[in-house]
Amino acid sequence: MRLERIGREPEFSRYMDLKEGWLDRRIFSDAEIYEEELYRIFARSWLFVAHESQLPKAGDFLTTHMGEDAVIVTRQPDGSIKVYLNSCPHRGNKVCFADAGNTRRFVCNYHGWAFNTAGELQGMHEEYCYDEGDIDRKKNGLRQVARVGSYKGLVFATFAEDGPSLDAWLGDFRWYLDMLLDNEEGGTELIGGCIKSVISANWKFGVENFIGDAYHAGWTHDSGCRSMNNGQPFPPIDMDNSYHASVNGHGWEFGTEGVGDLFLLGRPKVMEYYEKIRPKMADRLGTMRSQIFGSVASASIFPNVSFLPGISTFRQWQPKGPMQFELKTWVIVNKAMPDDIKDEVTKGVMQTFGPGGTFEMDDGENWENCTTVNRGVVTRHEKLHYRCGIGRQIDHDTLPGIVYRGQYNDANQRGFYQRWLDMMEATDLGAMPPRPEPRLTGVAETRDLPGLFAL
Amino acid sequence: MNQTTTLERPRTGATASLELTHALTQTLYREARCLDDEDYVGWVAMLADDLHYHMPGIETRYRRDTTDQVTDLTRMAYYNDSLDEIKKRLTRLETGTAWSEDPATRYAHIVTNVEVEHTDKADEFRVFSNFYAYRNRNERDEDSLIGSRIDIWRETGGAYQLVKRRIILKHNVMLSKNLNIYL
Repeated sequence: MRLERIGREPEFSRYMDLKEGWLDRRIFSDAEIYEEELYRIFARSWLFVAHESQLPKAGDFLTTHMGEDAVIVTRQPDGSIKVYLNSCPHRGNKVCFADAGNTRRFVCNYHGWAFNTAGELQGMHEEYCYDEGDIDRKKNGLRQVARVGSYKGLVFATFAEDGPSLDAWLGDFRWYLDMLLDNEEGGTELIGGCIKSVISANWKFGVENFIGDAYHAGWTHDSGCRSMNNGQPFPPIDMDNSYHASVNGHGWEFGTEGVGDLFLLGRPKVMEYYEKIRPKMADRLGTMRSQIFGSVASASIFPNVSFLPGISTFRQWQPKGPMQFELKTWVIVNKAMPDDIKDEVTKGVMQTFGPGGTFEMDDGENWENCTTVNRGVVTRHEKLHYRCGIGRQIDHDTLPGIVYRGQYNDANQRGFYQRWLDMMEATDLGAMPPRPEPRLTGVAETRDLPGLFAL
Repeated sequence: MNQTTTLERPRTGATASLELTHALTQTLYREARCLDDEDYVGWVAMLADDLHYHMPGIETRYRRDTTDQVTDLTRMAYYNDSLDEIKKRLTRLETGTAWSEDPATRYAHIVTNVEVEHTDKADEFRVFSNFYAYRNRNERDEDSLIGSRIDIWRETGGAYQLVKRRIILKHNVMLSKNLNIYL
């Protein structure tokens, strides 16, 4: 698509110095910067739109947003997935008002324009009013996104005609994603339903919290941890054997102790389940990844999806203006799990990371106040400190990405804002540098990695 | 045989007497006052050991859609708790480190539209109500949660205990940052 704003003189680098380790607070509150984010990031990124398990049958649909653009995601009769604007080309009205369902067509309430699930215009109410030549049905379907792709159950879409493929976009981050999406035969599914809440904070605070901020957990969530685990405090962090890994703005922070996040979920049966499948997980993903899974960890996919591997909350931070986002919360489970384990996981997630969860309750207020203080003109020109662990970058034989030692670190946050800056300034997405140079180019399946990576 | 009465309304339930309706209405008000005052010890004492406290997450769907979003307990829910699970949530408030509860949130539960019915069990009653729950904290944080409830209350030694509650919140997107409240 043509985005007339792209190509204007970029001037976003003045809002940060990631080598020094600071950010300008205006990126969290300024309306003009937010508007540019919608054009430069949300209208050009690969964005999560669905999990395949939400659309099992032909005609299944759900509605969501790509940035602030409302879209419909539908399963086609041939099994493929289409994504198009939820907006009639006639006067722009929404054509679907449900969150999800199954249908054969979408009919606009205004003038009865009817579209099949492929988004093609099929007919209109009182069609005789259009003379020959008035309307070309083929050109008046629902506006399709440029590309749709999926990776191990996660469906992504982008409005960008050009730019990286989904595989290149995820790049070496697939090595990490497979710990969530492919730790057991059969892959994953989302539990039915989605819980949505509103937080008066900038969307990036949610993403950066999950991408690398293990540091907040022991303090912010002391009460949550103790409530879920009989008064026990947060498990200790081993700074020598825990890491930050950043790939193309995505990030995963993690320990290697194997049990921390499972402990925080507070459901012993779920812990037992993963201990039982861990040897198989090691055969499947290698020893290293089987030891990482279940550790204290959190992760985000650029730009706005996050999850906790082991705790199994899966969420998207949907931007709603510079000072508000909508949080969509799901529970992700392995398809192969018995029903009682799926129920345990679901209950555990809603008791920890649902809106009434013992952890979730203490996050929102922090992010809101980090955002709204910037209404003050003096305050908003202050810098924020992002320098933690800036000297701890390492080369690691097994771990792909830009790797830092020590889970308490701002490294993944810096990686996220570096990618934010790349996209805000790039005229040509294809010319954005990979961060870092990929190791796994040409590797279609990280389970099959030889030697080094499968350790 | 000893199964608790279901929430589903069989329509055999005879409307309760004025006296019984008054007693259960007062019970709902007393419960609301416990919650407004953060008297969770008092509140837990009103909950039965076999409590099921359920607040499903409900998507907006077309009328023709037959997905069971209310009684299917495998779906997403704000609350789907036993008494032990409720108590576990409440222990957060005893840690002294529940930062977002200090300064305290100010609550008002307004309970209305109370109807009481007999059930097949002599000591269990089906109680319908609506609620308006208002929260205000710090300077001007505020939100309102509005919904309906179906309860089963059991008479035990002159008092009543909550056995089952289903809460239907009328929001699709919950217009609030969290749910540090019981409804």
